[in-house]
Amino acid sequence: MLGQLDFAPLDEAITIDALTLDPYPIYKRLRAEAPVLRVKSVGRTLLTKAADTKHVKDNPALFSSNDPKTPMQPAFRAHTLMRKDGPEHVSERMAMNASFMPKAIKEHWGPLYERLAEDYIGRLPRGETVDIFKALCGPIAARILAHILGIPEATDEEMQRWSQTLMDGAGNFGWRPEPFARTDVANDEMDRHFDAMVERHRAERGPSAFAIMLNAERPIPMSQIYSNIKIAIGGGINEPRDALATIIFGLLTETEQFEEVKRQGAWSAAFEEGVRWVAPIQASSRLVTEDTEIRGYRIPKGDTVMTIQASANHDEELFEHPERYDVFRAKNPHQAFGSGPHHCAGAHIARRTVGQIILPLLFERFPNMTLPDPDVVQWRGFGFRGPINLPVRLA
Amino acid sequence: MTKIVYVATDGSRTEVEARDGDSVMRTALANDVEGIVGECGGSMMCATCHVIVDEAWAEKVGPRSDGEEDLLDGAATEPRPTSRLSCQITVRPELDGLVVHLPEAQM
Repeated sequence: MLGQLDFAPLDEAITIDALTLDPYPIYKRLRAEAPVLRVKSVGRTLLTKAADTKHVKDNPALFSSNDPKTPMQPAFRAHTLMRKDGPEHVSERMAMNASFMPKAIKEHWGPLYERLAEDYIGRLPRGETVDIFKALCGPIAARILAHILGIPEATDEEMQRWSQTLMDGAGNFGWRPEPFARTDVANDEMDRHFDAMVERHRAERGPSAFAIMLNAERPIPMSQIYSNIKIAIGGGINEPRDALATIIFGLLTETEQFEEVKRQGAWSAAFEEGVRWVAPIQASSRLVTEDTEIRGYRIPKGDTVMTIQASANHDEELFEHPERYDVFRAKNPHQAFGSGPHHCAGAHIARRTVGQIILPLLFERFPNMTLPDPDVVQWRGFGFRGPINLPVRLA
Repeated sequence: MTKIVYVATDGSRTEVEARDGDSVMRTALANDVEGIVGECGGSMMCATCHVIVDEAWAEKVGPRSDGEEDLLDGAATEPRPTSRLSCQITVRPELDGLVVHLPEAQM
């Protein structure tokens, strides 16, 4: 049946550099002209329409996450849940899920996170211009994660370095040796750190992901407990960090909305719009398990499709003036947290920590914060994206 | 077609005609019923499609599916005895007139 269908067109012009610097004009063109496109530089079939990205994520039997041969394997020294499907994925994910649910945040983490936010925001110097990306966004994301995972003694610096090292290794598609040499060092450090926590978690039986996994009635193997914590480190710092920086940028460049958000306390809406506008995770890959078809194009078994949720979140069929940060848009059915079985496990934590704790506290303390020169802010990233600097004046 | 009734926390009722075979979550999304998010698309991963089945309907709707309990346990609104994830309730003719109550929060 698929025999008569054409393969998707092949693009040889789009470069990874161009996608890293500013992918949005490219995606806008692709949505209009070539929503299913094989992009040579990426080596994948890019899907840029919201209906298609959702279709792929919601059909894991046809579009699989299972890929033991990714660079994630050597980077994490494990086949992690992020690259598994079916019951295996569910059992490993559910082993730690309770720590990440609204109830755990309400009952256990909320008061601690409020104290941490007060502490980190309280240290920022009033009246000065500081790079808030480095001074707040990264460190507070690291601290929150260290607690929820059950490794509170890991420093902010260690958490951020481990996370970046794991991400660099997982993205090492050129299979160069240096990134894996660095992940080996980080894995040794993390393993030693985790080893030292095991007895304490067995004794205290706290609400952290580590403790819940260890103390379960039928615990998953220790190797998977460790790789689960590593996946959460690799995948749980840059997203809230980049979301926070993106939202601060959005609010400080849309001053009328900023005033209205403060007046209404519409921080959750400011959060949702930020992750829609520039999704921290812009793209995901899925392996095609059977010949199929998308928008009339033949998608063969063995192909790798890439869902571009960054583009889905700007799809003109769902969003008016998608290129604009607009907190008060009537509907916001974004896909920043993905969909399907691999829907972001940290979504509830991110919404509550960034949207309900950090943003209100930050702007309560600095209600007149400004961004003196928006043009100096640099945005980077194809797979993951956000500002890499954000010099704001704290007032 | 099968009628499903969603009752918001303020008591307001939204009646929609559902397609048999769809989930109660998907039906809500297709009809712009506010108060159901269903962000993971029905994979039992996000717990944002929590509903409290009206007691008169609880038996007909049936028990929770495998794994549903764990997610409801951690949901944003404390689950009640008839709480379900609406992605796990399939619309079928014998549920014609089904009444589900929406929780205070999904996220």
